[in-house]
Amino acid sequence: MAKEKIQFEVNGKKVFLEVDPDELLIDVLRDHLGLKGTKAGCRAGECGACSVILNGRVVTSCLIPVMKADGGKITTVEGLEKDGELDPLQKAFVEKGAIQCGFCTPGMLLSAKNLLDQNPQPSIEEIKVAISGVLCRCTGYQKIIHAIHSASKTIPGNEV
Amino acid sequence: MRLESRLVWPKRLHWEKYFRPQNIPEALKILEEFQGKARLLAGGTDLILQIRSRETQPRALVDITRIPGLDEIKLEDGAIRIGALVTHAQIAQSPMIREKAMALSEGASKLGSPQIRNLGTVAGNIVSGQPGADTTIPLLALDATVKVRSKQGERTVPLTEFFIDTGKTVVDSTREMMTEIFFPPLAEGESSVSLRLARRKALALPILTVSVVVSADMKQKKFNRIRIALGPVASTPFRPREAEQMLASASIADGMIKEAARKASEEANPRTSLLRGSEAYRREIIANLVERGIRKGIERLEVKHG
Repeated sequence: MAKEKIQFEVNGKKVFLEVDPDELLIDVLRDHLGLKGTKAGCRAGECGACSVILNGRVVTSCLIPVMKADGGKITTVEGLEKDGELDPLQKAFVEKGAIQCGFCTPGMLLSAKNLLDQNPQPSIEEIKVAISGVLCRCTGYQKIIHAIHSASKTIPGNEV
Repeated sequence: MRLESRLVWPKRLHWEKYFRPQNIPEALKILEEFQGKARLLAGGTDLILQIRSRETQPRALVDITRIPGLDEIKLEDGAIRIGALVTHAQIAQSPMIREKAMALSEGASKLGSPQIRNLGTVAGNIVSGQPGADTTIPLLALDATVKVRSKQGERTVPLTEFFIDTGKTVVDSTREMMTEIFFPPLAEGESSVSLRLARRKALALPILTVSVVVSADMKQKKFNRIRIALGPVASTPFRPREAEQMLASASIADGMIKEAARKASEEANPRTSLLRGSEAYRREIIANLVERGIRKGIERLEVKHG
């Protein structure tokens, strides 16, 4: 099968790749680029573990042929940290104990990040909807919801 | 999804070619060249799963997401027009849809999950031909029509004539492409509602989806007419015509609404299902949700008129 040349921006860095036309974004991120923070769970768009932000929208990378992402802008969980400093969401997850096994955490963080980017002061109900595409089997969700809520208050201008 | 197909859930999927046409004629030409072995890809939320479960094994994917002009929601020539690439998230966030077609806004905002709504398209939801599809049911109640293009030209098909059987529509997706969905915006004295019952609020197929469009004269306390769409309660999305007929020009009264809802439940054909419950249960909830939908529609008209 003829390889295809594609390029996209991942976590602020331009990458140029040769891929098979039938590869999926999730596998290119994990296996070509070594970004193993993006988890492979159900591979059916149901568990949300493979969530990434593509062109400003959180999506399940297991349902996206990599060719479709050509020219796009992608954020994975590795891109949340800036200059060695964790994102306020990551800090809140650590502080509030919102992580147990950790498998859903990247999907939760990116769902939350996408929410706060569009809606910096969400209600609890809006937070629940935003993370409804990611399954967590450990925490019962409460601490995740609290962590996101507390992170939203650290966004400049949101201090109450 | 059947369990046995999950047990052989492959990591790697296969197709030979991936095309990114820049316009509709180019897309249709590729479909023709592959003689049924190519499939259009927009959101991919159904197609990728069908490839994974080997339900379909296309040789080529035709990614239509780079065709310009298909991702807009607009009010033009007296109709709300939804392009083939408009996603559920776009619908759910559109103030115009909320104002002029609330039932569709409610249907789109409950479909799947944020991730699925960001990928999946309304056109894909319709053309998949599922009898309980979350945006199909409100669009059927809103009396929508779709435009379908083939190499032979363009045709328009009302949704009432669109569905043939579960998973089967009048569109031959190996050589045709749906390009637009359009319907009249709700007028003064009209309101719409969608209600959904599922095991959980996200990522669960509906046990029942009901959409109602109410047109009434609130001063006279009379219905003008009403359209009801239901699914999944038969092999295709369903309109209970006798129930609709009962309420045409009828006075707005509790007994009448209950009776019409009961009639809708009799007209439907739900079967006992492991996922959705017994036939008797399903008939009960049809009557229930239809009644609730009509009442909510009236409530919305009351609010509008103060």
